[in-house]
Amino acid sequence: MSTTSLTDRLGSLLMAPVHLLMRIIDIPLRAVQKTTGIGGMAAVFLAPNMLIFGIFVLLPLVINFVYSMTGGTAFFLSERQFVGTDQYARLFQCANYLDPMSCQEDAFWTAVGNTFWFVILQVALMIGVSLITALILNRDLAARSFWRAVFFFPVLLSPVVVGLIWKWILQRQGLLNFGLYQFGIEPYTWLTDRNWTFIATIGVSIWAHMGLYTLILLAGLQAIPKDLYEAAEMDGTKPARVFRRITLPLLMPNLLVVVVLALIKAVQIFDEVFVLTGGGPGTSTLYLTQYIYETGFASALRNPGLAAAASILMGLVLVVLTLVQLGIGQRSEKKGKR
Amino acid sequence: MGEITLTKIKKSFGAVDVLKDIDLDIKDGEFIVFVGPSGCGKSTLLRTIAGLEKVTGGQIEIDGKRVNEVSAADRGLAMVFQSYALYPHMSVRQNLAFGLENSNMPKAEVADRINEAARMLEIEPYLERRPGQLSGGQRQRVAIGRAIVRRPTAFLLDEPLSNLDAELRVSTRAELAALHARLGSTMIYVTHDQVEAMTLAHRIVVMRAGKIEQVGTPLDLYNTPANRFVAGFIGAPHMNFLAGEVAELQTGTVTLVTSGDHRMLVPFSGHSLSVGDKLTIGIRPQHITIANDPGSLKVKVRLVEALGSETVIHADLNGEKLLAVVPGQKQLSPGDEAHFSVAGAPLHLFDRNGLRVKGS
Repeated sequence: MSTTSLTDRLGSLLMAPVHLLMRIIDIPLRAVQKTTGIGGMAAVFLAPNMLIFGIFVLLPLVINFVYSMTGGTAFFLSERQFVGTDQYARLFQCANYLDPMSCQEDAFWTAVGNTFWFVILQVALMIGVSLITALILNRDLAARSFWRAVFFFPVLLSPVVVGLIWKWILQRQGLLNFGLYQFGIEPYTWLTDRNWTFIATIGVSIWAHMGLYTLILLAGLQAIPKDLYEAAEMDGTKPARVFRRITLPLLMPNLLVVVVLALIKAVQIFDEVFVLTGGGPGTSTLYLTQYIYETGFASALRNPGLAAAASILMGLVLVVLTLVQLGIGQRSEKKGKR
Repeated sequence: MGEITLTKIKKSFGAVDVLKDIDLDIKDGEFIVFVGPSGCGKSTLLRTIAGLEKVTGGQIEIDGKRVNEVSAADRGLAMVFQSYALYPHMSVRQNLAFGLENSNMPKAEVADRINEAARMLEIEPYLERRPGQLSGGQRQRVAIGRAIVRRPTAFLLDEPLSNLDAELRVSTRAELAALHARLGSTMIYVTHDQVEAMTLAHRIVVMRAGKIEQVGTPLDLYNTPANRFVAGFIGAPHMNFLAGEVAELQTGTVTLVTSGDHRMLVPFSGHSLSVGDKLTIGIRPQHITIANDPGSLKVKVRLVEALGSETVIHADLNGEKLLAVVPGQKQLSPGDEAHFSVAGAPLHLFDRNGLRVKGS
């Protein structure tokens, strides 16, 4: 008997259970296809995912909207009374729209204000830092892969871990004060100074997320053909002009994506700040998501309806930002096709 | 002026020597073509002249001045890249103006130069378009235009036609030759296509493995290749090579015997051969005729390519491949026997080291 026929037989023996399994799977699929037709099979295969999406995304969204139309402290919808748009009206009830303290929900407006300034400063700094890092990592550095990993690593950390790490560094008896003390500088209570905590939340969130944006920008930089730079070199173009006239315009699609992604992420800031400062001192680092969390679940006078209304408003902002992102994506896709 | 002198140019990337002792004089106004297979160092040589790569050793002089330490921008050269390297986000006009604006040239002069180049290259209708909206040929013109507006001492062209389709390549080649005649500037042109080299060059530099194999006019290289490599590289289809042995030496001729005991009488005026020497005989496919005369080679036909105006015959001579290009149409089929005659054909003799035998 030849070896080929032996391996063939061994192969068919091993494959037998697989074939059996395939036949078993076929039975219900054939039955389904008989009723749906071949065109309906796509829907059948999509159904499990759509079901999960429906249960965990769409349904909560709808329930959240229903909550925002109800009042009281009870959690179960059956025990809550319908109040229409009262919760929204409450959020917007202000004597003077320029002064958050004159609003009925002053904490909401404080959180909105804090989040606004946080988003503006954090995104601006994030873009700057990520761009500079990407530009440096794009050069012929020694151990370039190592440095890329170093900058990307924080992205892999859980936000809670990020918050804890920086708490250990910034707290009164933390690493930073220890380091400063070695140089004869008096320790400082970084996490109880309003200004410093605000700056710390910006710094920490940049540290935690810049890796992703750096990576996107680095990919953009590497997609710029080298010979464009060589052509510019032959033309005697100064580095600043090369950056302004060649690098920046060609990096613009990636830069726009990064801006929008960073905006969306910054609006949702919560976990690491909650662990690091808990929103304090006072309300100096109280951001919108934390306000929603505390209003809905944590405070003594919890008001799930109000929290739901605030989260719907925040959702609207995110929808607008996402549409902008989609618009940019489609525009660059069209450009790519041309 | 655009005289370029290379003396003992060396270039290494780490432990790899890409250029080895390159010596070359390029005269003002000359159209010189670097040709060679991929990885032979021709593009690197061009880039070292451009200043985009620093040499490891040796000296580059432009118009008598050493430029090793001079930046690419200050060497007064302009380069046309293989990929054209046009800035995709700028219009053609902006692309042409970009380099000139670096030197703070007055706007009126920038506009004049752009218009002049655009007229010369017939790209005026596209000045406001972006490179993405142009065809390959138009982009190629813009890339040349960007070099022209700088009025350089010499043009460096790195495989500028390789991204064009075959038809466009032929017409653009002719335009390039016309442009050179019109501008009269020195042009250094890199290609791996020996047809481009033959048609464009005043002189061709054949390179292999970081060294110059031969420098000469296209016909010099075709008629008297210095070695087997040049002989095989220049001319299409490639030259045939047959193993042979010196059988007899007479005054003014040498009798060679090839496999299958074919005897060939070759004119020879040198003194470097003796009976029994092993040689390689080079025969260009175009120099073979089909005729059953004494001394003709009896071959077996393997493949016939009828091109209409000529017929390419792939044949087998006792296990050695032989290619013939004969004018007109021949009624031959694979498996047929044929007689290849080399009577009166210029035969090239190469010694064991592949070098041309002196006097052959």
